[in-house]
Amino acid sequence: MPGIAVGIDLGTSNSCVAVARNGEVSVLANPYGEAITASVVCFREDGAIQVGNTAKANIIHAPGHTVYSSKRLIGRYFFSDEVKKARAVCSYAIVEAENHGVEVEVRGERYSLQEIAAMILREMRSIAEAQLGEPVTQAVITVPAYFNDNQRQATRDAGRIAGLEVLRILNEPTAAALAYGFGRGLRQRVAVYDLGGGTFDISILEIGDDVFEVLATAGDTFLGGDDLDDRIIDLLAEEFLQAHGINLRSDPYSLEKLKLAAESAKKQLSVEDEVEIRIPDIAQGPQGALSLERRLGAQEFGQRVGDLIQRTLKVCDEALQEAGISVRDLEGVVLVGGPTRLPLVRDAVHAYFQTELRQDVDPDQVVAMGAAIHAASLTSQTSSQAAYLLDVTPLSLRIGVAGGLAESVIDRNTPVPIEQTRTFTTFKDRQESVAIRVYQGESREAEENEALGQFEFSGFRKARRGEVEIDVTFEISADGIVQVTARDRSNGEAASTRISLTSGLSESAIQGIIAGGRSDRVATSGSALVEKRRGQAPEQPPLPLPEPAGASGPAAAAAAPEPAAAPVDADRAPLPAAAPVVVAAAPLLVDAPVEAATAPEAGLVPLEPAARFRAAPPAAAALPARAPVPPPAAMQAPYDDFLAPGADLDLETELGNDDLSLDTEFELDLGPPRASAPLAARPAPLAGAEEPAADAVGGAPASVDPLEAPTDERPALGAVAEEVALLEEAPTREIARPEEEVEIELGVDAGEELTPAAPDPVGEIESDLRAELTPADELRPEDERERDPDLALSRHREIKQELFEISDQELSASDGGDERG
Amino acid sequence: MSELAPAEIRALSRIVEELDYYQLLHIDPSATAQQIRSAYHECSRSFHPDAHRQTDSELRRSVEQIAKRVTEAYSVLRHPERRRAYDRQLAAGSGVRIQLAAAEATARTARSEQSGRTAQGRQYWSRVRADLERKDVASALRNLQTALSFEPDNAAFRELLAELRPRRA
Repeated sequence: MPGIAVGIDLGTSNSCVAVARNGEVSVLANPYGEAITASVVCFREDGAIQVGNTAKANIIHAPGHTVYSSKRLIGRYFFSDEVKKARAVCSYAIVEAENHGVEVEVRGERYSLQEIAAMILREMRSIAEAQLGEPVTQAVITVPAYFNDNQRQATRDAGRIAGLEVLRILNEPTAAALAYGFGRGLRQRVAVYDLGGGTFDISILEIGDDVFEVLATAGDTFLGGDDLDDRIIDLLAEEFLQAHGINLRSDPYSLEKLKLAAESAKKQLSVEDEVEIRIPDIAQGPQGALSLERRLGAQEFGQRVGDLIQRTLKVCDEALQEAGISVRDLEGVVLVGGPTRLPLVRDAVHAYFQTELRQDVDPDQVVAMGAAIHAASLTSQTSSQAAYLLDVTPLSLRIGVAGGLAESVIDRNTPVPIEQTRTFTTFKDRQESVAIRVYQGESREAEENEALGQFEFSGFRKARRGEVEIDVTFEISADGIVQVTARDRSNGEAASTRISLTSGLSESAIQGIIAGGRSDRVATSGSALVEKRRGQAPEQPPLPLPEPAGASGPAAAAAAPEPAAAPVDADRAPLPAAAPVVVAAAPLLVDAPVEAATAPEAGLVPLEPAARFRAAPPAAAALPARAPVPPPAAMQAPYDDFLAPGADLDLETELGNDDLSLDTEFELDLGPPRASAPLAARPAPLAGAEEPAADAVGGAPASVDPLEAPTDERPALGAVAEEVALLEEAPTREIARPEEEVEIELGVDAGEELTPAAPDPVGEIESDLRAELTPADELRPEDERERDPDLALSRHREIKQELFEISDQELSASDGGDERG
Repeated sequence: MSELAPAEIRALSRIVEELDYYQLLHIDPSATAQQIRSAYHECSRSFHPDAHRQTDSELRRSVEQIAKRVTEAYSVLRHPERRRAYDRQLAAGSGVRIQLAAAEATARTARSEQSGRTAQGRQYWSRVRADLERKDVASALRNLQTALSFEPDNAAFRELLAELRPRRA
């Protein structure tokens, strides 16, 4: 008997878990009776790990040892803006991991963000198990709709580390719509306005009874309730500096106090017109301790954050436009996220959409409830509970092509699951590999997008150039997770795949983390406390089941468990909502049944390969199955470092020279000079389709457009791939970066061998490439201007066109037309 | 929900490569946008992978294959311009599938035809529109001729010119 499946809203600030059983949805309160639990992890001196509101109270006492808002970091690259921003404001240490990933360092130990998220998930799981009295083994976990593939994948990995089978990674607004509309037989179009702690999402859905179709989604992963808090912090800190000459921001203790006070003030402003902020002893002045006192009115707060709210409405514009509808077509707006309780947010949203605000479901719990409904639907044997979620991909999936550009394969807001196949051919006789870079984002410039992976296919048959045709299939699953497979078209032979440049964890790393069991400490420390307490305290009475959901379904279930109504441990008061500082106390932890459930249960963890980029096994010609696992971490790491720089991510500038030092563990025979000539890939004409021809995903530096390819451009990615292929076969020589750095490193000893990778084989390659591409030229409508040598000035023209953007808008405004793009 | 027998699903997955998008969604080539959407919903009830979680893996793969093709069909047909591009391809007998990127590229070209492909073309085109708002046909005609001097082969511009000339006379 499998355990119960729950829905978990893993939020930036708070998390929530719910279950749907027997047609009722219930939010499962934590042992303090709180429906939501802070997404905060505190590492105590004794090695125990606390998660939740108790941990949050520790931010003040142990700022360096308490990790919060970690969702802002998950699945990001270390050099990303968001990580830089977090490093500037967070009191815990954020450090760089392998593959340019991110880790946090606490009490001398490093943790991946997946592990931190797993600790929160483990706590949510144990809350559910305590309430249900049964093991919880499966979950639907929600993510912001605007999360990219790296972030989704990392969240899924976190679930696995927490010992959960992740049934689905579900978009938060979609989950909210499901909670709103499930089982109500609705036929309407709604918007879901989801302002969370750290992210903003807007989704437009069409609900047709049991079908929930997302028409469009848009978002901003840099905008959330935290940003509203920051504005209050700015205000208070500025005034304090002027009054006392003391910068509260420079002292971590004062800053954390400010943060808590600001958050609490914001929450109070949801229900009151004015709040009194009082922080006693916030700093030490010449005449003793100083306190901060100030009144903040809703109007003043509104002025401080008005621009942030306007920003969300701009994103709403975008989503409506993408959906091809106007606000008049909507029949309601579902509000999600704590900040939507603020009257100023509600007023702005109401004024914008001019339609009813659907507030019958608690905005903090609606997402978890939707996830729970979906979890039940996915595990149910009958179809009576079925709901069909037709979601879309929030970001365009792109492949890197010549000239540092990225071409869209699957546009944003395309429904998922979906699959698109592009055919590439070899560019060189007896070519052994092709390399492909995959991005997500909306920019034509490759490096302005999020890099999902850079990988190489090899092992197809060797033949004259152009004779081998390789089908590369890009697939986005219903979870929004990307998979890429490759197959030799002629014989159905699978090409082997190597991934690199992803901030994610390799399969072996995940297995290592699960085996290491550090995240178990969340539970084990808890059970130890329970053990200890058993001596003194009377046996914990069984926790009451959550409120019955009532006949009317989700709406009734939304009634949150009130803190006061719940069982409270003797030495632990429920958290007063507005109290900034909370008595730190051990969380009451679950009893025997849960102990059993949280024991390692590797058997329950589905060990599917995490490799998204995999090769289709030959047998499954039509339907690629899951196959090989990525290379062992030890091999992959240097490979990644080798491929990453310069190619797309401009690491040189971001990371400095230190980072450019080369991996020495790796050896490589670069072969005869000609061997590394870049391979280009020509798309085989799809039956009659007008296919963009410059699918030179081999990434030949020789851009077809001479103006676009300065001769000192980056080397061919194809060449890189080839080298890596060789590297596997005959490891004899030290590898060097195929960049300008090559020459620097070259000086050492590898002169001749590296010549092919050196920057200037362009002339020769270019001519080849032109020859190769000529016939296909007629077949590409879209980007002709970009790449056709005869229209070399196209880039400049495009820039000019952008300058005229305004007149375009005027045009569409003047005729009320719908020209977009 | 429309339950399909495993045999039906297997049969459909064998011929799915040969079906055009209309056949796949089981609609008439003249279907309205609303009919297309309803058909997509109906197909999703039958072929959404979630509806077949319990079935064996081989059958589920067939379902997934059909589901991906259904979303592809819908992605093309729900946008009028992409649909037109697809219809042209079908009429020309050059295949029952179209790459999304190719369909979108054609659609984009069609849209830019509507407003002008060059900066100057768009600029004068917007003046033409403004003139017409004011019902100043003479000025519209002048601006249209200027726009055409930048984009002599723009079909949308030519069409309007043909329409305006007699009006002026």
